[in-house]
Amino acid sequence: MSAPAIAIHNLTKVYPIPFRRERVVAVRDLSLTVEPGQVYGLLGPNGSGKSTTMKIVLGLVPPTTGHTEIFGRDSTRVESREEVGFLPENPYFYKYLTGQETLRFYGKLCGLRGNVLKDRTKDLLKLVGLENAADRRLGGYSKGMLQRIGLAQALIQEPRLLVLDEPTAGVDPAGSREIRDLILDFKSRGITVLLCSHLLGQVQEICDRIGILHRGQLVREGRLEELISIENQTQIIVENASPELLAKLEGDIANSGARLVETSKPQTTLERYFLEVTK
Amino acid sequence: MSTTTTNHPPHRAFSPGRILAIASNTFLELVRQKVFYFLLIFAMVLIGSSAFMVNFTFQEKFQVLKDVSLGAMSIFTWLLAVLCTAMLLPKDIEDRTLYTILAKPVPRLEYLIGKLLGVLGLLAASTLVMAALFAIVLYSRQQLAIVEALSGADPNASKEQVAEMVREIKATTFTWSLIPGIVIIYLKAALFAALTLLISTFASSWIFTIVTSVAIYIIGHIQPIARDYWLTESGGTALTKVFLAIVSLLFPDLQLFNLVDDIVAGNAIATLLFLKTAALGVIYVLVYLFVAYFIFAKKEL
Repeated sequence: MSAPAIAIHNLTKVYPIPFRRERVVAVRDLSLTVEPGQVYGLLGPNGSGKSTTMKIVLGLVPPTTGHTEIFGRDSTRVESREEVGFLPENPYFYKYLTGQETLRFYGKLCGLRGNVLKDRTKDLLKLVGLENAADRRLGGYSKGMLQRIGLAQALIQEPRLLVLDEPTAGVDPAGSREIRDLILDFKSRGITVLLCSHLLGQVQEICDRIGILHRGQLVREGRLEELISIENQTQIIVENASPELLAKLEGDIANSGARLVETSKPQTTLERYFLEVTK
Repeated sequence: MSTTTTNHPPHRAFSPGRILAIASNTFLELVRQKVFYFLLIFAMVLIGSSAFMVNFTFQEKFQVLKDVSLGAMSIFTWLLAVLCTAMLLPKDIEDRTLYTILAKPVPRLEYLIGKLLGVLGLLAASTLVMAALFAIVLYSRQQLAIVEALSGADPNASKEQVAEMVREIKATTFTWSLIPGIVIIYLKAALFAALTLLISTFASSWIFTIVTSVAIYIIGHIQPIARDYWLTESGGTALTKVFLAIVSLLFPDLQLFNLVDDIVAGNAIATLLFLKTAALGVIYVLVYLFVAYFIFAKKEL
């Protein structure tokens, strides 16, 4: 059996406050596993320990106790980062570099050279739809374009795991939708994704599994469908139903002893409506 | 695009390729921030200092020109080293660019070496440009001095006497000791780049980094005087010696790097003294880099 993409074992992180005796517990005895190929949503209010957990997984911050692994390799070891691509929240890349130079720079950090790097850069620029902006400096990129070049740099060494911190923060609905579609595309290619986001609607659309952190502790964890489905209710959507049919259905439901909770017309989402209007 | 298998080369614990990528990117960053514009000020200082020396003999003119040029070169390279290096680390942390770099398989030591090498590259390029400007101004003043000397020479002077006069002017302008002098100026700036990088690993802001670095520059110039005073006053007890050793490690003795006065005076620098000073500069750079790594390796980002 292959090793989990991310394994977090009894992780605790305590930050001392300088010149005081107090300490802040950012993460408390956290254990969770993300299996290969999953899109895992790590949710929680601000200050719940999401970013700290991500930084520990990426080896940017050492844990106080416990340990984390990426595909079976201890994440405090530099080589564990060969398998992971990271997009931080609101990243600012080097503004003086063009999109192409940015990808080449990160590629070189991963040991890519020559034609392999050239081809990879070209492929990724195409994947994130920035072929036409390849030679423009990042200083002139929009927020959505910066997030897309950020995703491309995270993917440069073909990692098996992507860690995305608020990938659509501050991006307009169309850009946000593009990023969401890209994440779904990564999922179809078998890439594991750890996603931190406040946009619960988006998390619901793309995540297989979620974990909810609150005050540094994992308060809920499981498959998304299982967590949010209402077990004793059933939804039936009918097209072209006559008033007579609806009345009959309602009567049958009442006669059977079940309770009709709601009858309404399904609505499109505001996002879909907005995208339709601004197309 | 393959996803289940990765085709990147196996990880290397230490990779000159990664260091080169960070160094060249840092160099590019500084170049695109147009830091080379300060060279225009240097050129103006150089031309200005050579234009206002009307009533001097050619020896005096060359001495002043060398004094001003090497002094300006020393201050400009130092200033460039401190200002460029102080911003690098805080900016990468503030912009979170550091996260994206260290989230790749890049050891922190390589990141620091790359950043320092980028600055050292920029300092080398700047020093070369300044040295070239200096050489051009010096050469043009030399040619002018030769023309003036020939036009003012005694019409009855023999060919040998004229040749001797030209030879004397040439010998006063370019001396071999200028090269080691410029190398030492470069190493002093390199020392400050490493020191500033070290300070920026624990500083809370880049202003603190710059202020501390400038303070160390001043202390570094006056500490040998204080040391001599203490040693004569206290008679050099063991405790004083240990204290002074610590002080001299924290605050480099910058007077040791001050070989410019001798060069301007026309004295040749002994090869051994040059090599010792150069080695001292390199050792300081390595020690500061090592301490910077020691702090940066434990830094929580």
